[in-house]
Amino acid sequence: MAGKRAAKDTGEPQAGAKTAAQADAGAAVVALPPDCRIAAQAALKAQLMGVLERGAIVLDGQQVERVDTAALQLLVLLRRELGERGGTLAWRGASEALNEAAGLLGLARILELPAARPA
Amino acid sequence: MAKILAVDDSASMRGMVAFTLRGAGHEVTEAENGQLALDVARGGSFDLVLADVNMPVLDGIAMVREMRAMDSYKGVPILMLTTESHTDKKMEGKAAGATGWLVKPFDPEQLLATVKRVLG
Amino acid sequence: MVNAALAQFQQVFIEESLEGLDTMESSLLALDDGGDAELVHTIFRAAHSIKGGAATFGFPEMSSFTHEAESLLDEVRGGKRAIDGGIVELLLRTVDCLRGMFARARAGEPLNDAVAEGLRGELAAAMGRGAAAGGVQARREVDQADAWTIRFRPHPGMLAGGNDPLRLIRELAGLGELAVTAELDRLPALDRLDPAECHLGWTIELAGPAKRADIAAVFDWVEGECELAIEPKHVVAAAAAASAAPAAAPVADVAAARAQRETSAESSTVRVAIDKIDGLINLVGELVITQSMLDTFRDGVDASRLALLEQGLAQLARHTRELQESVMGIRMLPIASVFNRFPRMVRDISQKLGKQVRLELVGEHTELDKTVLEKIGDPLVHLVRNAIDHGLELPAQRRAAGKGDTGTLRLEASHRGGNIVVEVSDDGAGLNREAIVAKAVQRGLIASGEGLGDEAVADLIFQPGFSTAAVTTDLSGRGVGMDVVRRNVADLGGSVTIRSTSGKGSVFTITLPLTLAIIDGLTAAVGEERYIVPLVSIVESIQLQREAIRTVVGGGELFRFRGDYLPVIRLHELFGCPDAVRAIDEGLLIVVEGEGARVGLFVDGLIGQQQAVVKSLEANYRRVSGVSGATILADGSVALIVDVAGMVRMQSRRKVA
Repeated sequence: MAGKRAAKDTGEPQAGAKTAAQADAGAAVVALPPDCRIAAQAALKAQLMGVLERGAIVLDGQQVERVDTAALQLLVLLRRELGERGGTLAWRGASEALNEAAGLLGLARILELPAARPA
Repeated sequence: MAKILAVDDSASMRGMVAFTLRGAGHEVTEAENGQLALDVARGGSFDLVLADVNMPVLDGIAMVREMRAMDSYKGVPILMLTTESHTDKKMEGKAAGATGWLVKPFDPEQLLATVKRVLG
Repeated sequence: MVNAALAQFQQVFIEESLEGLDTMESSLLALDDGGDAELVHTIFRAAHSIKGGAATFGFPEMSSFTHEAESLLDEVRGGKRAIDGGIVELLLRTVDCLRGMFARARAGEPLNDAVAEGLRGELAAAMGRGAAAGGVQARREVDQADAWTIRFRPHPGMLAGGNDPLRLIRELAGLGELAVTAELDRLPALDRLDPAECHLGWTIELAGPAKRADIAAVFDWVEGECELAIEPKHVVAAAAAASAAPAAAPVADVAAARAQRETSAESSTVRVAIDKIDGLINLVGELVITQSMLDTFRDGVDASRLALLEQGLAQLARHTRELQESVMGIRMLPIASVFNRFPRMVRDISQKLGKQVRLELVGEHTELDKTVLEKIGDPLVHLVRNAIDHGLELPAQRRAAGKGDTGTLRLEASHRGGNIVVEVSDDGAGLNREAIVAKAVQRGLIASGEGLGDEAVADLIFQPGFSTAAVTTDLSGRGVGMDVVRRNVADLGGSVTIRSTSGKGSVFTITLPLTLAIIDGLTAAVGEERYIVPLVSIVESIQLQREAIRTVVGGGELFRFRGDYLPVIRLHELFGCPDAVRAIDEGLLIVVEGEGARVGLFVDGLIGQQQAVVKSLEANYRRVSGVSGATILADGSVALIVDVAGMVRMQSRRKVA
């Protein structure tokens, strides 16, 4: 459901992106930690690399309270990598903090972030 | 509110920093030289480190270098408390991995503004 | 100091700074025994802490002062400057000066004093530059615009250093509307990414009237850690043109105003102990009582109350004298501030020369006029250096002479009559008569030593041209000879003499007037005029027979005095006084000494001794050669005060011509 909203909100879904509902079936769900900053990125990268082969990844960004450029850069690379492999990236929600950061860094469109779920 | 490590061998300076930050609701840990700061840093996590440059035992520059080598302190803002005369010290601090600096003298308002700025 | 948080830590700061100064001092002394890099660091740290804290805790004077010392130390620390006795001595004096400043800070008194001002200059001079020459750089770039384009590309390591571009861009958002485009062209493949590195870049359009400086301030910590270009999209022409030039001017004005304020404050204040002021108030109170008592005689004096009148006038005289002394006393400060620099200086010099010296300081509480005090330091320093360098012997030489290894150097200040006497004595070898005579002959000061008394020989060392490169060492020979010492002392209205006993040591005696504002003098009559001859320069007054005078070619007159021929200066000729005594045997010769030379002043006769309040002739009229000032006599007439040193100079010029 969040995924559908995301698709509408961000508009122009790209070829590789599917809704969360479509992707969830065989997709790997990765929850982003509340403190999703530079110190957490090595672990997150390892986790993402581990599920890259699955071709479909669903990110849960609802818990994210703190985020930085390192995190968003990693997600941009994930998005690009999946696109090149013909895989999909979908979102199961994204927090206000995640949205604000992506917006400021000019990465919201690339990441196809869904808007924050109203509290 | 943030967890802040204040490092200065001067009790008056350290006291003023800690007093001001606690007054703003932060949790402040004090250390009186770079070595003690590293010991404290290993045992906990901090959102921000404020460190004097010239200290006995281990100075601020060496402290920053060692702290940055610790994975858990990558990206953690470390501000040098320095004096305006030392542009080369600022650069040395930066080269060691400091985030920025707060120029002495500063008043409590300036300290809080800088901390607010670096903590976002 | 408006902030309570600051006030709370101000006392802590003073305490720890005093401890820091103790550390500095002991480290400086240890450093003098052999430089250890860690000692320099320790000293630097202490100075640095004081500097940083001083400004934070509301003592900007101390901060700017420490800044100079710190810069000097930084050069030593960085190996750009070798540490030597001079620097150690300067820094030790800085430590003392800072202690004084902290003491004043504690007492809530103004921090700066003449010593601090002087030291600041010395430190700046040691750094090879004038004090705080603040250059103002005018910015030629456009610094205000309606909209800006900012291209920002961090170096990979910027993130790990704690500068998150997210934070920087968020700060920019506070300056106006942002349109941010991320640049992804340098991103590596996912598997090759070090997540702690940043490979993104941004082009940011900022809409809104912002100053370049405000934008640049956002990036101040990341200079050198990123590529950054800040370009105006729409230039605000007027603002840009206007802001370039005038921005510089106010800064300079402020600096000039501050400099002016500091110098005027320095030259016009003196710190006065409370008890001196209380004493003055008491005296004025007594004067008022005496005055009201005398006031009762307004309606007439009858014989029955004559005794009371006499008593009242006597009281008035006593109070006036006491008041005068007390007012003069306000300008009096203990000589301790000058003496205090010597323990370390003596230690430094003696170590350098391999001599063992015990310093005795006596009479540190003796008070001197502030002006005298400020100017007596240099001559004393020279005498002390000279005593250690030339007077005291090496331990082996002392042993050979049957003396203890350790020499004694004694500085003693005391009041003697209306004068201050400062003696610098040592128990060294004493003057070497033969060496002095040989040198004086070699320098052409005398033809031979024959017929010269010991006193006259000793006096040769005060002659200009005696101290030359051949006798100077790096300690006492700083281009200053004993002649300069004598001239400096003479400028203060004083004199310097030496007594020396071969093998036993030397005593240099500086005699100074208690104050420059009042002198003790003899009043001499020359025709209708009265002249005051300062007592301190008078050797003797004599009456001569006509035959005792020899006239030399060119019209000069000489008379024999204690083995020397001295020139006669006829004051009536010099000042053009009519009706004066012209016959030598009818008048009087006052033998005076100035700048090491003696002359005889011919006057009609002496009227008496008196204290004269010196009025500047220059300030009230114009400079007159041979006259140092004027005073008003009891009868209301004006008497000129004879400038003995000036007359001696005039005489020697005449001799040359």
